[in-house]
Amino acid sequence: MAAPTHTAATAAPRRTPRGPLRVRRPRRHGSETLAAWLFLLPSLAGFLVFTAGPVIAAGVISLLDWNLFSPPRFIGLDNFARLGPDDTFWSALGNTAYFTFVSVPLTLLVSLGLALLLNQGLRRMAVFRSLLLLPYATITVAVAFVWVWLYIPHDGLINAVLGVFGIDGPAWLISDDWAMPALIVMSVWKSFGFGMVIFLAGLQAIPQQLYEAAKVDGASPWRTFREVTLPLLSPSVFFTVVTSIIGSFQVFDQALVMTDGGPGTSTTTLVMYIYRTGFENYEQGYAAAQSMVLFAFIVVITAAQFLLQRRLVHYDL
Amino acid sequence: MSASFSRRALLKGAALGGLATTGALSGCSSGPPPGAATWSMWSSSPEEQRVWTDFGHYVERRMHIRSASTLTPSDGYPTKLDLQLVSGTASMVTALNGWLIPTYASRGAHRPLDDLIAADPDFDLDDFYPAIRSISSFAGRTYAIGFDVAPTVLYYNKTLLERNGVDPPSPTEPMSWDTFRHLAIELSKPKDQYGFTCSPTIDDLVSWIYCAGGNVVDGDRDTSPLDAPEAMQAIHYVVDLFTKDRATPPIDNLVTQNASGAALANFLQGNVAFMQNGPWQVLNVRKASFEWDIVPFPAGPAGSRPRVSGSSFAIPSGVTGDDLDLAWRLLKTLTSTGALDIYARAGRNNPARLSAASAFEPPPANLGIVQRILKGEVAGGHPFDVTTNWNRVRLLLAQDLPRAFLGQKSAGDTIDGVMPRLNALMRQHRDAVRQAT
Repeated sequence: MAAPTHTAATAAPRRTPRGPLRVRRPRRHGSETLAAWLFLLPSLAGFLVFTAGPVIAAGVISLLDWNLFSPPRFIGLDNFARLGPDDTFWSALGNTAYFTFVSVPLTLLVSLGLALLLNQGLRRMAVFRSLLLLPYATITVAVAFVWVWLYIPHDGLINAVLGVFGIDGPAWLISDDWAMPALIVMSVWKSFGFGMVIFLAGLQAIPQQLYEAAKVDGASPWRTFREVTLPLLSPSVFFTVVTSIIGSFQVFDQALVMTDGGPGTSTTTLVMYIYRTGFENYEQGYAAAQSMVLFAFIVVITAAQFLLQRRLVHYDL
Repeated sequence: MSASFSRRALLKGAALGGLATTGALSGCSSGPPPGAATWSMWSSSPEEQRVWTDFGHYVERRMHIRSASTLTPSDGYPTKLDLQLVSGTASMVTALNGWLIPTYASRGAHRPLDDLIAADPDFDLDDFYPAIRSISSFAGRTYAIGFDVAPTVLYYNKTLLERNGVDPPSPTEPMSWDTFRHLAIELSKPKDQYGFTCSPTIDDLVSWIYCAGGNVVDGDRDTSPLDAPEAMQAIHYVVDLFTKDRATPPIDNLVTQNASGAALANFLQGNVAFMQNGPWQVLNVRKASFEWDIVPFPAGPAGSRPRVSGSSFAIPSGVTGDDLDLAWRLLKTLTSTGALDIYARAGRNNPARLSAASAFEPPPANLGIVQRILKGEVAGGHPFDVTTNWNRVRLLLAQDLPRAFLGQKSAGDTIDGVMPRLNALMRQHRDAVRQAT
């Protein structure tokens, strides 16, 4: 390996008597720094105004008793204390977890399966890819309305098809047992296109030589998939898992349109409950406390995923 | 011309572009012209929009001032109004559905109007039906002035009844519950024809509860009387129509069935004999392809006392000074006999003023019973009793009641399960009333 060449921009680290290596920062021209800040400014402003600001505001509001119209009153952590005995909150959290931990793996499996199929070099692959991406590109509310129609117990298409096979289909969206699975099926159908595109891009980046080498070594298709495809696809899987879990924890629109959270609270998701607490029950402080808990859950789960990535995700080809 | 730019020129251009965009956006911010009479209202159809446009013209003719109305689809109206009230951008006069008046009044979002009414000799509150005056008041004070008011009535499909050899019900004598149930069962041939339709919600159930002598809210106690024998009799009666008698179209999904228009959609299909609904649906039912009319709501043990509901205009608390004077003049104009004539003549609903009542005209032939019920000449009505946290009561019951209507849980178990949470809400309501007074 050739010895590295030192330039002004890549100055050698200098060891100081007090501590470890100290890297001298490359000197930048003032106008370049200004340019960098100017180009970063819109994104930074957007982040501060639309992301960091509301998170901080929610944190502050969670300490208040505020019904929107009367002046807010500071009540410390009382809103968080209310969460403990609130059965609906825990039920909504359970429903959200159920939705997430069933729908995300299912979506990944379907996405991966379709991506592998499309990666076989089918003719008119672009057409298939576009068609399969359509559900993802369609507005959720519109899709949800169509699925409500498909799920109608008496005359719906799904039960009509099941009837052909002699199966008496359930009352999907109005059944305690079937409402959440019905939502999950719709959600998998709606979102597999996103994962499929990511996986397809990942699959196409894997060098063909590795497959040829595996073939020469006599590896079976399953072993090739396990030893070559899956490890090299792990960055795509990681990205899809992280984004899908975050998205699933925030599920709202399809449940609102398809079941309104019912029957009972069997499909009430956490975001739906937060919305109702804040804007239908006029309890902004309590809604903010709930959203802070949701935020904490998402941060913990995402952090855990990033810790796991060190062991499971391979970035080197 | 050279297409090359120096980096400095590019940066300068980007900065100038940003400034120009910011300036343009701020310049584009639109609002009502200064001094305009601003008012907000829900509007979900072109027909409704036409009525409010006519209201706007009427305001301009009468007040010689620019009318600036904000129209929002009814589903999104309360949320938009909340945000406008909080941000101080609400109109001078805002329309309110009657069941929300205690919610806003107890939170100080709208101002009481008693001082303005007392100081204005031109304004006659006695010209408004007592029911809408009750609905528009909270803790003994008037918070809004009504523009419509009406009792729930029973629509019936004349064609279907004739086809089945059933005489039309009396337009003056309400049917008894027994007669109604018998007819509903007789006229039901499931999958092809049904006897009755309503939504499985408290908004519709409450009329039956009032007719049985029950209520959801009791002013004297800290607990809800929803589990009292009177209310339970009504709940069992309606739930049985759904689950035992199979006299109603099956519930296919909870979202549309909970929406107010679901019963209307069932009725308009032409295979349902009776529908419980308000005269505000007359305009839509006129599109039906069959003969129909309305009759008083069936009489239970306490008589025919269905829910009477209405809507009103109110002034937000933030409106003060000269704006308050303008707001009061605008509110008076929007609820004047002339404006309500426009409203009633368009068939929107029964007007809140007695002097505008004659403008709400047939068809259907029996439409006049609406005013006779409000005057107590035929059957009767019961103003919709709500709490300051009715949103929460509604949501609680919206989650649990459908299970009874679907037969997943008995009516008794459903109400038993709801009562502790409902009573907690009632205590919260009492506290809110105490604090507000």
